[in-house]
Parts: sequence; structure tokens; C-alpha cells
Amino acid sequence: MEDLQLQKIAISGPTLASMIQRFSSSLGDVDGFIFGHVTHITPSTLSDDSASASTDSHLVATITGFICSGVPLSFYDSLGRVDSLKIPPLQHHHQQLLGWLSGRRHSPLRPSLREFSVTDSLSKIPQFHFPVKTQTRTLTLMPCVFILFTTPLADQLIHTHQYRAYQFNTFNRSFHPKTIDVINIGPAFRGHYGSFAPNCALPFMNCSSAAMEEESLSAKKEKVSDQEQLDLCAEGFQVESLKRLVGPDAASYTAGLEDLYEKMLAKVESLARLVESSSAQVLELENNNRKLRYKVARSTGLE
Amino acid sequence: MTYDGFPPFISAQLHYLINHFAHPVRVEQAWSGSKYSNTLDRFTLLIPYCLDTIKWDVIYNAEFPHAPPDIIFGPEDEDFHPFYNESGGEGDSRSIKNSLATWNNKDPTRLLALIWELRDQYMSYQRKRVGEVDDDRLKFEICTMLSREGIEMHMSSGVEKPEEVKFAVPLMDMNINKMVVGCPWRHPQKISLQVIYPVNRKYVSAPSAPHLKLMSTPALKSLFSVDDVKLPPWLDGMCMAEYLPHLEETLERQVSEAVSLIEVRRRFIEALAPLFGRPIETDSVFYRKSMFFVASGAFSFLVLFFLSTQFPKQQPSLMLQSSMYFNSQGMPIKSPLLTDYPWSPRWEHSQMAERTFEFLVDESVNFKKYCNEAQLQQNQH
Repeated sequence: MEDLQLQKIAISGPTLASMIQRFSSSLGDVDGFIFGHVTHITPSTLSDDSASASTDSHLVATITGFICSGVPLSFYDSLGRVDSLKIPPLQHHHQQLLGWLSGRRHSPLRPSLREFSVTDSLSKIPQFHFPVKTQTRTLTLMPCVFILFTTPLADQLIHTHQYRAYQFNTFNRSFHPKTIDVINIGPAFRGHYGSFAPNCALPFMNCSSAAMEEESLSAKKEKVSDQEQLDLCAEGFQVESLKRLVGPDAASYTAGLEDLYEKMLAKVESLARLVESSSAQVLELENNNRKLRYKVARSTGLE
Repeated sequence: MTYDGFPPFISAQLHYLINHFAHPVRVEQAWSGSKYSNTLDRFTLLIPYCLDTIKWDVIYNAEFPHAPPDIIFGPEDEDFHPFYNESGGEGDSRSIKNSLATWNNKDPTRLLALIWELRDQYMSYQRKRVGEVDDDRLKFEICTMLSREGIEMHMSSGVEKPEEVKFAVPLMDMNINKMVVGCPWRHPQKISLQVIYPVNRKYVSAPSAPHLKLMSTPALKSLFSVDDVKLPPWLDGMCMAEYLPHLEETLERQVSEAVSLIEVRRRFIEALAPLFGRPIETDSVFYRKSMFFVASGAFSFLVLFFLSTQFPKQQPSLMLQSSMYFNSQGMPIKSPLLTDYPWSPRWEHSQMAERTFEFLVDESVNFKKYCNEAQLQQNQH
């Protein structure tokens, strides 16, 4: 197995901002997982390219999601040995566990003793190895991305947070700094959307008029399960209404689609409210825990 | 260094480390990793190594007191991975015994054990790096010196710096602390030789002499200054095994002499007493400083004697300090250091004392004038 070098690590602005936000709102140090996919980009074969360019790697890791634990040592022990049972299962088949992240305030921007062990240990778990397709063959990659967040040691600086991304080389057991490519929406980034493959969380649903009107038990059952799927992404949109989007009723297509879109927005809004109220609860709990921990720390010192 | 601002469990461990570590460690700076409180829980530790210091950051978590600390090593030591086990994959529960695996935040000795263990591993790591250097002379020198107890080595390689290997060779198997009566030192005083070899990857017919420097623990200066030692010359084709015995022999003689000089200084100060009266204050371990109160008619002043480690070869430096005249800042007026007056190391102690006294009788007139002038100038302003 050869060592596969990433050319860079791509991340959307909001995802990166959200990571920093999670780190900066945490009580103490944090860790978490990074999800995404690795793609093989088609190398440019312009004749005036320098020779060295052709030997460069064409693998780009794109971060599409993350989970931040809010605490340190959430999935490994004091020696940095990973407990794979504590790693959450992947939500989507097109997402892989790319690696992990660590955030610690007021500390040097270099991987620590434990961070090295965790990264090493994580890369050795076979169940998280994943395939990457290139034009000619399929490569195997392991979770090897590590992103470190810190806050600067000096107070006079203008910036409040700093980060660095690494790829862990599993052969010589060392970290290699990688550039983070922040991708935003806008004309400058249009190229990135050329390879965009839309994927939908909704399964195939039978919504022809005949199917909708069928009264059999199995058809009803199917309708109920379809409705459940639909409720996950839209609020109060009946599965029967889907038939307006196909067949002869499609004349009122626009109105139907707008209706679906509005219901989806309503869903997003109610989710946001839910997040808001649960965040408030979490904050309250954290404050309570902090007070308890403070008590423990006091009593430990007195013993 | 105060330990305010650290939570009690960190403070206890840090306190223990600083007071019990075999080498003098220091905390350079400390920070807080908490969002809400300013509780300090991470700091930079300065640890002596190979006659230099290494800086390690110790990261505790005040919010999670049960979590063992993490360590960040220096930027030039990115290949140093202590506690790393080659095969250790996921959930490897084989009994690994080290200070992190058996961490207990209630035990104040744990940080010391951890730092000790890591420094030990760092020593092996550096030794391994030095051993891998492809230089025949170095390989030979390592073979002959390795058996020396307490030898430390360091390989430095920067992008802009030439590669070099540094050795810290502890010299002489003598306990200097025991030789000094009423020894005030907490750490054992040591003299080491710093040897720096440039790395020669190609064969060189006459390798250059290594860079040699004597170094001692700082407190030893009050007894013996290594800067006064003239190192024996390094001859062409020489090696450390030939050089060291001769150097050690010379040093041992010089240190014993320095210890015997304490007594010489003591006797000189005693000889001053019949003329100057009993000293007000005297350094009663090394006898390097003594202060007398002298009155000449209505004019009275203090005489300070500073004795170097080279006494009696080097005469004492004297300083007069008025007890009546003060400068504009309210400080007593002092004379400059007086180092040029009749002196011979061959004189008896009593004669040294008498001649110094005679000199000071004359000098007191000058000093009185000096004080008066200073006073006058001050009144004019």
C-alpha cells in the first residue's frame, strides 16, 4: 500500500466557522470528528505545465461535516488509544470519517504527545478505512486528517483563533501540514460546483394517482412510511400532494413545488427553534456541571 | 514564582515538582484554558538538559481535573514520540505502565514522575539521534565516553545552522557540597564540560578540535569560578578519553584549593578585627564579604570588603559608605570601588590587615572631602 498524499483539504466557510464557534463556546478543551469525502481531481495536462506538477497528488479531502464533543478525551484514553465503540456511526453512505479535530486555548499550535497517539491509533482501525476511486484504480485511504485549533499565546494579536491542518503519514508516523482551502459561494468558486453531484435523502416514492388511491393494506403501509420520510424534511406536506408534481396534474407544478418549498422552510425554522431551546438547556447544564466540578477540584486540593 | 491562580491539585503537583526535581526546573509562563474562569491550567516548563534548557508545555484542564495533562514538546523535536508503542492499535489494553496510564490527580508526586520519565526518554531519543550520525570520529568518541555516568547529548540541526553534536560531560566524582562547612546549596554542585563537535559527513584527515567550554551550576560561583580555569590545549588527533583524565586531575586540585581558600579568607577577616573592631556583618560560609563600622574623630562610615575567590592573590576590593551623608535620592553616599592600594599576597594576615588599615586612615580624609562636596553640590541645586 503506497502512501497517499492529499494535495489540500477543502472546507466550506460556514463549516469552518461553525467548528471555530463550537471551540470558542466550549468550557475547556474539545475534540471531535471530521467527516467528508476524498475525491480525485482530473489533473490538468497543459503542455506548458512544469514537469513537477504532474507528480503532484490529485487527491482533495473535502470536509462536509463534523461532530464536536464539547469535552476532551471523548473517544480515547489518557495515552491516546482510541475506543472505536465511541465513534458515532456514519449518517450517509457518501460520507467518510476523514479524521478528527482538537481545540485547546492558549497553547502552542503544534500537535501534542496525546494528539500524535490519537491520530496514529485512529488511522490503524481497519473498519474506518475507505476506498477512493480514480480514473484507473481504487485506492484505500484511512482517517488521517487532523485539524488543530488554538488561541494565540500573546494577547496583543488581532486574531482570536488560529488553526492548522495536517495529514498523518502512516508510514513514517509524522504529521504533514496541509493547506486548508476555504470554499465559499460566489463566482470565484464556480469551478467547485462543476463536479457537484446532488444527492437526496428521500427514497423513491410511488406517487402516481393510481397508487395514491389504492386502498390495500400494503399500499397504506407504504404511504405511512413515505409520509414519515417526508416529515423529516418538510412540515405538514401530505404525501398525496406529491402526485401534483407528476402526471397530468403537473400543470399546477409551480404552485405545488412552492408549497413543498415553503413547508421545507417551515421545517428548517422549527428545527432551528428546537436547536435554540436545547442549546439554552445545554448551557444551563454545563454551568451546573462547572459549579460541581469546581467543588470537586476544591475538595481534591484540600485532601 | 507563586502558585496563585492554579487550582489546588495543579498547584500541589507543580510545587512538588519544583521542590523535588533533581534539576532546577522553572515555570516560564502560565495561561488559562477555561472559557469562564481565569484559573491557570497550562504552563511552559523550562527543564535543564545538556547544559541548556528545553521548553515543554504542560496542558492540564481545569474544567476536567481528572484528565491527565498533555505535553507539547519543542518545535525542533517533532520526531520525539515517547510512550509510543509500535503495534498499539485500537483498544489495546495490554498493561502499559507509565505515568500517564496510571494518572491520579490527587497524588502530588505524579507530575514529577511524568516529567522525569519523559526527560529520561528524551535522553534516549537524543542519544539515538546522535548515534545515527554518520561521522567516524563521533562514533569513536561516543563509544569511549558512553560509560561516563550522567553524560547527556544533543543533536542540533537547523535549516540555516550547521549540524553539530553537543555533549555535556559531568566531571570529577567529588561531592563539593560535602567539602563546604555549613553548605547552603540545595542541589549538588557540579562542573561539566560542554563539548561541541561539528558533524563531518565526509572523511577529513585532520578533524578540527571540538569546541570546549567548562560550565558549572550557578551557585558554585561563590566558591570557585570555572571562568578562571585555563583549559589544557587540545592536540591534533586527540580524543576525549585522552583529554578528560588530565582535565579532571587539574580541576580536582583547583577545587580543593578553592575550598582551602575559605579558611584563608576567614583568617584575614579575623585579623581585621583588632584594628577595625568586630565586623557588623560577614558572609560566614564563604567569607566573600564583610562589613565594618569605622569612626575617625567625628566622621564615621562603613567599610565593605569584597574578597574574590582568588584571594589572597587578588587583593580585596574596598568600598566606603557614609553613615551621615546622603544623596538626593536619600541613599548613603558611597565611594567608588578601591582596588589599587599597597598589597602583597606574601604578607602575613596581620600585616595585610595593618597595611589596609593604614591605607584607609589616609583614604578616610579623601572620602570625607568627597562627601562634603557631594553635600555642597546638592545644597546648591
